[in-house]
Amino acid sequence: MTEEIEKRHHAMAPDVGHGSTDLQNNDVVFGVEDLAVYYGEFMAVQDVSLDIRENEITAFIGPSGCGKTTVLRCFNRMNDLIESARVTGSLRYHGVDLYDSKVDAVEVRRRIGMVFQKPNPFPKSIYDNIAYGPRLSGLAKKGSEMDDIVQHSLQKAAIWDEVKDRLKESALGMSGGQQQRLCIARAIATNPDVVLMDEPCSALDPIATTRIEELMQELKSDYTIVIVTHNMQQAARVSDRTAFFVTEVNPESDRRTGRLIEFNPTAKIFSNPDDERTEQYVTGRFG
Amino acid sequence: MNELRQEFHSDLDEVRNEVARLGASVVELIPRVTGILLQQDLEGAEYVLRGDDEIDARAIDIEERALRLLALQAPVAGDLRNLAAVLKLAPEIERSADLCCNICKAARRIYGHSLDPKLRGIIQRMSDQAQQEYKNVIEAYMANDAVAAAAIPDMDEYLDDLHRQLIQQIFESHAAGTIDLQVGVQMAMVARFYERLGDHAVNISQRVLYIKTGWMPEHDAAIRHKARVEAGTPAGAEGTD
Repeated sequence: MTEEIEKRHHAMAPDVGHGSTDLQNNDVVFGVEDLAVYYGEFMAVQDVSLDIRENEITAFIGPSGCGKTTVLRCFNRMNDLIESARVTGSLRYHGVDLYDSKVDAVEVRRRIGMVFQKPNPFPKSIYDNIAYGPRLSGLAKKGSEMDDIVQHSLQKAAIWDEVKDRLKESALGMSGGQQQRLCIARAIATNPDVVLMDEPCSALDPIATTRIEELMQELKSDYTIVIVTHNMQQAARVSDRTAFFVTEVNPESDRRTGRLIEFNPTAKIFSNPDDERTEQYVTGRFG
Repeated sequence: MNELRQEFHSDLDEVRNEVARLGASVVELIPRVTGILLQQDLEGAEYVLRGDDEIDARAIDIEERALRLLALQAPVAGDLRNLAAVLKLAPEIERSADLCCNICKAARRIYGHSLDPKLRGIIQRMSDQAQQEYKNVIEAYMANDAVAAAAIPDMDEYLDDLHRQLIQQIFESHAAGTIDLQVGVQMAMVARFYERLGDHAVNISQRVLYIKTGWMPEHDAAIRHKARVEAGTPAGAEGTD
């Protein structure tokens, strides 16, 4: 009977009250259907079905080894760079099968930028860090156009005022937080559609972290953002929807496989999640 | 896997225990103040009234502990609902203790006037019913028992029925000349105090369900209201339900 009451109440409070959100159903950027990723024979993550929607921030959370980064890396085919990796199921980007043999992985990575855990600026000037991608893809015809792209990207990444007087200096002389915002500027310089972020704040102090989180809110009006984070409060603060993954251990082989457990509006995940395992994880009852 | 955040969860459990202890105080108070009323025990009334400061102190302490955990521990999901519920439950129980004090004050006002057996009988039954509701709901809270909590509103209908019976009896006793008008007015208020005790038990039961499910009866009202707004039906046009 308890279950009945719970079921009834979950069904009765779908879009009002606790855990409700005013999320619009924006267009689907990535449609993921029954995705699994293998490294050779080993299945790293399975059962992933979710929609990433335009101009939203989607967070992936879960314990270590749950496959959240593996799934993120599917979105711009970064897993191609690992020889034994293969993907099953369907991953559509604006309706196009991302793993179709006709799709150019380099073009995919231009449209779907990525920011990594550790800031990784090139050992070049601040200007050249930003200009590198646009130059490769021939985005700027004239020098002044490139100047505009550099300024615009740095402004969007909220770092222009800090670096405008030292664009020719090495990017390696910047603080960690500045380097990470530079990497975000570099990612958006090629005019992508999506920015993937793999624990972008884990190497940063709290102030620099807050800056990046604020920046994400500003960026989402122009881009779709997917972020992997170990910091659950960060997922709660910044994201619109959250996907919760767990690690399942095969008792025979001791192999660990990730699995998507719940995908819901973030307000629901952190106030009244559907799955008991999500509840246990976000409240710190297992980790 | 190991439980993380053990310290926080034991603090949370302790706050919940304090809420239950405060509720248990009301469960004990209800028969006590009924005895004071029916036996015209002025000394007992004074004792209970003086004791209300302790109840208030415990209620505010619970609220402050819950606020501290909210501020410092960033609780989410079930933990968040539990702490949000504590902030509602502590004033609910504290107000219930105030109603017990009000019954003591009524006992002082009718001192020296006798109550006829019919009145006494209904008052005793109201007291028993209010106490039973309160006891059940506090046990449901401690056990996180949504089924037991869901039964409280049904129990409260009987208390509402007794309330009507007592009001009727006041008229009859007054007409028969066994109580005067002042006693009649006081008894009508006493009837209301017991009835309100039951209402507080119902409110607590709704919070127990809320902790389990995130749902409150007001959500139904919100759904109805939203439907009316979308249909362009003026508020109140369909009456209340």
